[in-house]
Amino acid sequence: MYGYYLDLALRSLRRNKVLTALMVLTIALGIGTSMTTLTVMHVLSGDPIPQKSAQLFRVRMNVFPDDRFRAGDDVPDNLARRDAEALLHDTRGDRQVAMSAGSMAVTPVQGDPQWVQARYTGAGFFPMFDVPLRYGHAWGPDDDANRARVAVISSALNEQLFGGKDSVGQTLKVGDQGLRIVGVLGEWDMNPRFYDLSNGQFGDSEDVFMPLSTAEDMKLSASGNMWCWGNSNDMQAADAPCLWLQYWVQLDTPAKVSAYRQYLGNYIALQQQAGRFHHSGQADLRDVMQWLDFKGVVPSDVRLQMWLALGFLGICLLNTVGLLLAKFLRRSGELGVRRALGASRRAIFLQCLIEAGVVGLVGGVFGLALAGLGMLLVRHQPTDYAAFIHMDLRMLLGTFVLALTSSLLAGLLPAWRAMQVAPAAAIKSN
Amino acid sequence: MRIHRQIRPILAALRSHRAAVVLLMLEIALTMAVLGNLVFIVYGTIQRSHEPTGVAESEIGLIQSIGVIGQDNPGTVAGNLAAMRAAPGVADAAYGSLPLWWVDHNPLFLDASRQHPALHAYEFQGSQHLNSTLGLRVVQGHDFDDGELPDAMDVYMGKATAPIPALLTESLARRLYPDGSALGRILYDGTHGLRVIGIVDHLRGELTGSAGDDDSLVYEYHVSTQDVGGGFLVRSQPGRLPEALHAAAAALQKANPGHVQNKLYTMAELREGYFRSSLAAGRMLVAIIVILLVVTALGVSGLASFWVQQRRRQIGMRRALGATRGDIRHYFQAENFLIVTGGVLLGVLFAYALNLFLMQRFELPHLPAHYLLVGAVALWLLGQLAVLGPALRASNVPPVVATRSV
Repeated sequence: MYGYYLDLALRSLRRNKVLTALMVLTIALGIGTSMTTLTVMHVLSGDPIPQKSAQLFRVRMNVFPDDRFRAGDDVPDNLARRDAEALLHDTRGDRQVAMSAGSMAVTPVQGDPQWVQARYTGAGFFPMFDVPLRYGHAWGPDDDANRARVAVISSALNEQLFGGKDSVGQTLKVGDQGLRIVGVLGEWDMNPRFYDLSNGQFGDSEDVFMPLSTAEDMKLSASGNMWCWGNSNDMQAADAPCLWLQYWVQLDTPAKVSAYRQYLGNYIALQQQAGRFHHSGQADLRDVMQWLDFKGVVPSDVRLQMWLALGFLGICLLNTVGLLLAKFLRRSGELGVRRALGASRRAIFLQCLIEAGVVGLVGGVFGLALAGLGMLLVRHQPTDYAAFIHMDLRMLLGTFVLALTSSLLAGLLPAWRAMQVAPAAAIKSN
Repeated sequence: MRIHRQIRPILAALRSHRAAVVLLMLEIALTMAVLGNLVFIVYGTIQRSHEPTGVAESEIGLIQSIGVIGQDNPGTVAGNLAAMRAAPGVADAAYGSLPLWWVDHNPLFLDASRQHPALHAYEFQGSQHLNSTLGLRVVQGHDFDDGELPDAMDVYMGKATAPIPALLTESLARRLYPDGSALGRILYDGTHGLRVIGIVDHLRGELTGSAGDDDSLVYEYHVSTQDVGGGFLVRSQPGRLPEALHAAAAALQKANPGHVQNKLYTMAELREGYFRSSLAAGRMLVAIIVILLVVTALGVSGLASFWVQQRRRQIGMRRALGATRGDIRHYFQAENFLIVTGGVLLGVLFAYALNLFLMQRFELPHLPAHYLLVGAVALWLLGQLAVLGPALRASNVPPVVATRSV
């Protein structure tokens, strides 16, 4: 039966090629545009570290002195060094790290010094964020404690300075001091760069990773948000009234998460009892996806484009509805004959829907090609996320689901009208 | 006119295609809503990208120069600036902030207790000659006098004793002191007291499109023997920016072998970089606009040619009864005009609804009415264009069709 309907649909579509082409083109354009923007959304709002995103938590707290505290203010993103060090010292999470972005000039063996982006962090960083290493290994907790002059460098910097060879054991010259390279990163594509969104949300990883303690020792400058509320000659000093450290903790079970919340509450209470402030303080714990959502990582023009493209798809569908309606009603003579020969209304309805579905599927194929073209366009845009836009299997299947559902939806009204055709009148008027 | 006599039969004919007509009107209304808002957004971006910052943009360049730790560097800021000023083609030079280049946006307070910020403003700060390098126009009060500038180290450490002389933009002065009494007043940022010595006409820290862009203040400090890295600004003689910028950069590098000099920008390049991604997003929207118009036109003409085919016999009969080709063509054109008009009227509602939605979610401004007028005219034209082919085909239907059976 369905085979017969399919045959009828194909015949009917072939009979009026221009109209069929119009409908296919309309659906293809609607699908192509909306799939392009949906894919961008999908990639940008995706989980950067799916295997662990529910176990990694950004820790924030509001422990301002009383004259800086205003109830209802947002909890600041970063911690002061004294709080970060206290939390690190207590070691209540499965892993934890306090860190900051920074920058430094490194001097190659030959050539001029060049400015590179760095991350001052702890030994926990690498296992916590599943950072792959091509050569060597990360530094250990002892190196953090001893302010060891060690560094892990990116594969890009390794390529640049050492021609891509295993550079473990070599020295990275930073001004007139040196860092011993202990590891070289593998391909590490962490986008959005959730661990520190304040220095560009998308893009390559930093080039130099080194212990935070060592960076302090060498007086290297931090970059990113530095928020101070008092005068301090050295904003990175242990007691400086400045917020600049990102703090992440890994908590493997829900029980540990609630225990950690409890612990943060206790920490703030202790600070209050010690006379640091009188307000109630605030602590905040968010896992990776909550954090990305909170920071609004998807750019607003991408969301805008998505809404507009969906509106556009709506217009394309209305267009298809109109064309299908005209097409089916024009065939009322033929449909009347089928009804007179015994086809039920249901059969007519199904036949018309199948015709709409065929249009949708063909439109989906062309729409996929257009979406591919659209994605090529997006990748050539000068945005920091351009390079990461790609279509995965889910979006590929999604394209066809969207094409088929929307064309069936578009076919509903025309098919319903077509099945209402009164056989006698239709045959007579012909 | 013969057209208006056709309106009644057109309406009667449309009534028998009610569903298709309503669909077409809906499509046109939605098209108008999306089109109006899209054009509004794109045009806003383009306008923003041409808004002046208030500085002498065609003559300003930036040299980003950063110190290397541990390297003894013989250069001092004052020496650097002197070396740059001596370079050929350079009119002036200073160390400090530049519009569109990470200008601080800080809260300002009207009294020293700093309890409630009056508003947020862009704070431009830099060495002596910052103002003349930027090329600001002082319209009230007076420019900086080198003798009254605070020392750079005092400013860095927050130890300046007297309020620092500052220039405000007209916009900031008006918002802080609506009675026009800005000159001579003292205001406060997070660290310093600032004394208003003059008003400049415009200075925008960023170009976000909001009125607050032009709320800026400038102050200078006196640099001498410090060694700092950061942004060195060059003002060239008219028309000599590229050569002056390179000459100044070479002079700066010679004076500071210990600095990593990584980047040179002209103000035009900064502006281009600042707007690159919004303009790219704008281009995507233009692509959507074009596709949208094509789809709507295809829909209109598809449906129209269908109706023409469907009515071949009636057309033939009318022709046989004496209607001219023009009459037939006008019939379809008038029919299209009526449908599009219905769509446009509905579209006004849709466009405002969409605009309200976008305003809530994306902080867009109100859609001005003239965009709707332009949208309506565009759709009328588009409709007429789309129906022209089918209407001509209809007018070519020979009268003899009436006598044949289909």
